[in-house]
Amino acid sequence: MSPDLEVELARLRLRNPAILASGILGSSYGLMRRVEEAGAGAITTKTITREPREGYLNPVFVDLEFGYLNAMGLPNPGITAFKMELRRAAENIRIPVIVSIGGRDESEFIEVAEQALDAGCNAIELNLSCPHVGGYGLEIGSDIRLACNIIRSIKSISSRPVFAKISVYQARPDIVSRYIGSGADGVTAINTIRAAAISVESMTPILSNIFGGLSGPCIRPIAVAAVYEIRRELPDVPIIGVGGVDGWRAALELILAGANAVGVGSAIARKDLEIFREIIEGLRGFLASRGFKSIKELVGYAQRL
Amino acid sequence: MSYITGVIERIRNLTKSIKEYEIFLEDCVKPEPGQFVMLWIPRIGEIPLSFADAEDNIIRFIVARVGRVTGYMHERLMAGDKVFIRGPLGRGFRWAPSGRALLVAGGYGLAPLHFLAKKLRAAGCGVKALLGFKSDDDVFYREEFERLGEVEISVEHGSSGYRGTVLDLFRNVIQGEIYDMVYVCGKEELNLAVMRECLIAGLPVEASFERRIRCGAGICGSCSIEPLGLRVCKDGPIFDGRMIMPMLGAERIEG
Ligand SMILES: Cc1cc2nc3c(=O)[nH]c(=O)nc-3n(C[C@H](O)[C@H](O)[C@H](O)COP(=O)(O)OP(=O)(O)OC[C@H]3O[C@@H](n4cnc5c(N)ncnc54)[C@H](O)[C@@H]3O)c2cc1C
Ligand SMILES: Cc1cc2nc3c(=O)[nH]c(=O)nc-3n(C[C@H](O)[C@H](O)[C@H](O)COP(=O)(O)O)c2cc1C
Repeated sequence: MSPDLEVELARLRLRNPAILASGILGSSYGLMRRVEEAGAGAITTKTITREPREGYLNPVFVDLEFGYLNAMGLPNPGITAFKMELRRAAENIRIPVIVSIGGRDESEFIEVAEQALDAGCNAIELNLSCPHVGGYGLEIGSDIRLACNIIRSIKSISSRPVFAKISVYQARPDIVSRYIGSGADGVTAINTIRAAAISVESMTPILSNIFGGLSGPCIRPIAVAAVYEIRRELPDVPIIGVGGVDGWRAALELILAGANAVGVGSAIARKDLEIFREIIEGLRGFLASRGFKSIKELVGYAQRL
Repeated sequence: MSYITGVIERIRNLTKSIKEYEIFLEDCVKPEPGQFVMLWIPRIGEIPLSFADAEDNIIRFIVARVGRVTGYMHERLMAGDKVFIRGPLGRGFRWAPSGRALLVAGGYGLAPLHFLAKKLRAAGCGVKALLGFKSDDDVFYREEFERLGEVEISVEHGSSGYRGTVLDLFRNVIQGEIYDMVYVCGKEELNLAVMRECLIAGLPVEASFERRIRCGAGICGSCSIEPLGLRVCKDGPIFDGRMIMPMLGAERIEG
């Protein structure tokens, strides 16, 4: 019998642990559909805010060879328009759809969450960690008490799972346990890390916003450490490990560190949607060759003494 | 993929709102017709542009003045200035050297078709180009296309050729002549209308589509053609008629 890749994540049942990370292709129904067809275990949407956001001017993305830098500026259609995409997804997409929510204050988070739940999403991820948009993301997440209040109020209106997406700066067991204490069902770790790139040829910053978020293989060791540390102190917390997953080995590394599932983000720039099949087949092959029956056996395996 | 540095060699006014930029690149690129670049002008912005021509280190763009970045290019950019490109990006025309091709262009949409015509011609194919413009003053690149094959011009107002839209001209032309392949680049209405007619007639057709492109790497989702989920920057910008069919009122298309 072929090894089992199914995982459970805070009451969500995933056919495999490869989740589309937020901000990558999860901005419309048509793209979500393609990601499902490509084999993903779940989909996280683009971070959605109350009002539509244009995002920053180009350039918004830099390919750095060892990784990627982006400052999109959270472009999104706003929850009212996005609800139509979510409704179509709820009707036609079988894998769980996790809606990423952004806000400048508690009330914006609540309003967007209410609409997303109404449209039939399967779970919510709170963006407490985007490092390059004033007033959003990391600026909220840096205030642990505010973040806990937001988690508490979202939990009061949602019976569906709520994940806190954290930055590397908050990826500490003590902070995560406060989030869990406030009601979070799990954490997604990590978001991009604040960074910048300057073109030597033009002698100017490349991103129009100057500052952006670093992603890709170069942040994987940082994500692995974050996941390992959280898992070591909090054995039962559902963790989505994100950062530098560019194939099955990288996915497995985060799982061995303690992730129950992994997010796949900027690697799609180089490998495109075929990366999901590559991860699934690679994990299955590894499990079979080592005699494991289920991927669940390997969650945090590297922490065994 | 980092930026390739280019130096503007020459700027030519083609019409009052369209210019041609000839650029020398520090590194050679080998684009397919239909592919594009992201052209970055530091402190100003970054926009997608199709290759109108490429030979070794010399490339050409045809740029219509539309807004902020193209406006800056038209007003401020001069020979000797540096620009930066990333690319070639996207999937170009899946052209093959066989038979007779009909090219249908609306305005600056003739840019990628010019590069395609050049390749088709070099491969020994017959090329006919239908170039559509608003008025006599908007006509450009007629001679460039005449060097590569047959040309017919349409203008909505004026006397430069066929009087009407390029879509009407196209309808007339395919009634009496036989082609193996149709390529179209213009406004979306033109692309879709030509694709529809071709699919009904059983003619293979490809078109170049536009959306706002941001990352250019196929990950941000900004340039998706919905509800198909096709990314202009990665799955396109060139799409086969059959891929676009659900947008064409498919129930009335045979084959
Ligand atoms: C694959 C591809 C190839 C292209 N090739 C060429 C080319 O060879 N020559 C050429 O002249 N142009 C080409 N374009 C279009 C060109 O990229 C845009 O005209 C340019 O980005 C406008 O930038 P701007 O800063 O001048 O205008 P902005 O200030 O950004 O915009 C001005 C106005 O135009 C609208 N707009 C801008 N871009 C688009 C769009 N893609 N779709 C709909 N509305 C839009 C804006 O909403 C705004 O109202 C191409 C586009 C794509 C996607
Ligand atoms: C282009 C781009 C857009 C992103 N947008 C979001 C977003 O809207 N919300 C969010 O929580 N994370 C966003 N992220 C962060 C990713 O979800 C992920 O945490 C990060 O990229 C690290 O994973 P990776 O190395 O696999 O890319 C974005 C990343 C990229 C590259």
